[in-house]
Amino acid sequence: MANRAQIPTKNSALIAMIADEDTVVGFLLAGVGNIDIRRKTNYLIVDSKTTVKQIEDAFKEFTTREDIAIVLISQYVANMIRFLVDSYNKPVPAILEIPSKDHPYDPAHDSVLSRVKYLFSAESVASGRR
Amino acid sequence: MEERHFIPESGGDQEPPQEAVEVENRREVRLQPGAEEKLVLQFMDSLNSYLSLSHSLSSTLGQAWMELASARHSMGTARLNTSLLDLKFHPASTTLKITEYDDAKAWFVLRKWVSSEEVEEDEDSNSTKSSERADDDDDVVVRRERAKSLSVFGILIPPKLRAAQLSFERALETLVEMANMRSRFLYSFHQLHQEVEDTKE
Repeated sequence: MANRAQIPTKNSALIAMIADEDTVVGFLLAGVGNIDIRRKTNYLIVDSKTTVKQIEDAFKEFTTREDIAIVLISQYVANMIRFLVDSYNKPVPAILEIPSKDHPYDPAHDSVLSRVKYLFSAESVASGRR
Repeated sequence: MEERHFIPESGGDQEPPQEAVEVENRREVRLQPGAEEKLVLQFMDSLNSYLSLSHSLSSTLGQAWMELASARHSMGTARLNTSLLDLKFHPASTTLKITEYDDAKAWFVLRKWVSSEEVEEDEDSNSTKSSERADDDDDVVVRRERAKSLSVFGILIPPKLRAAQLSFERALETLVEMANMRSRFLYSFHQLHQEVEDTKE
């Protein structure tokens, strides 16, 4: 992340979702669903028929749209496109990996936590000063 | 409309370290010793908050899925699935406000149940007129927007579906807190990372 990354300030940004049906339905009940005049949605429902390419395309689309502030992605879906998720490093939209009904959240696989855990390795600040 | 501002819990230290010096591209100026320890504490604190919030989120989502499953059991699978969603123009009622905090951190504020008129006002004028509405009007708008969201799945809504809606709203609040903690610890992490790189040089 650049030290002086530009943070786009916005009054009404969206929350995008790439998750299973129940999770998407639930968050749609909470009012986050958005369909624009071109019939583009801010969610992708992942089921057994969804291909990895579709997930990748949705991830790339949501992370490049200027009207999206947070992308929620089920962790088991993020694992299918792990390389893409790990290489993403912008502050906005923020990528949050969430659990699903059948796949509990595992901090060890979280992209952001993996990135910072190196601080606790032999290369940490403290050991560098000894 | 409900607006939730989440203030990070960090033992009172909500502001970035005052002693931290602006970093230029070539990193010629380093952090003062006191500022570095404060940055490490900020990093650890926000990371700990993020992990606690993720546990809380798992618990809230678990309850929400259970309530959704109960609602589906009473309504029938055909009445509660995504095939009922149409692709008609529909703006989101729950959105986020992004502000810039300390030049490099994004800060997210959840705005729940904003009416479509307020969304248009925001887009046109970028104003804060919506915050001047009376509390009673707020309740009416929130109830109306909640009902509109539930009406996608029929007219007779079981209590479990309403409960699921509230649970998912709580999950959203937790997620916005997590996004703010994430922003905070990534900022601290990159400051510390740069410091490590400078030490090696």
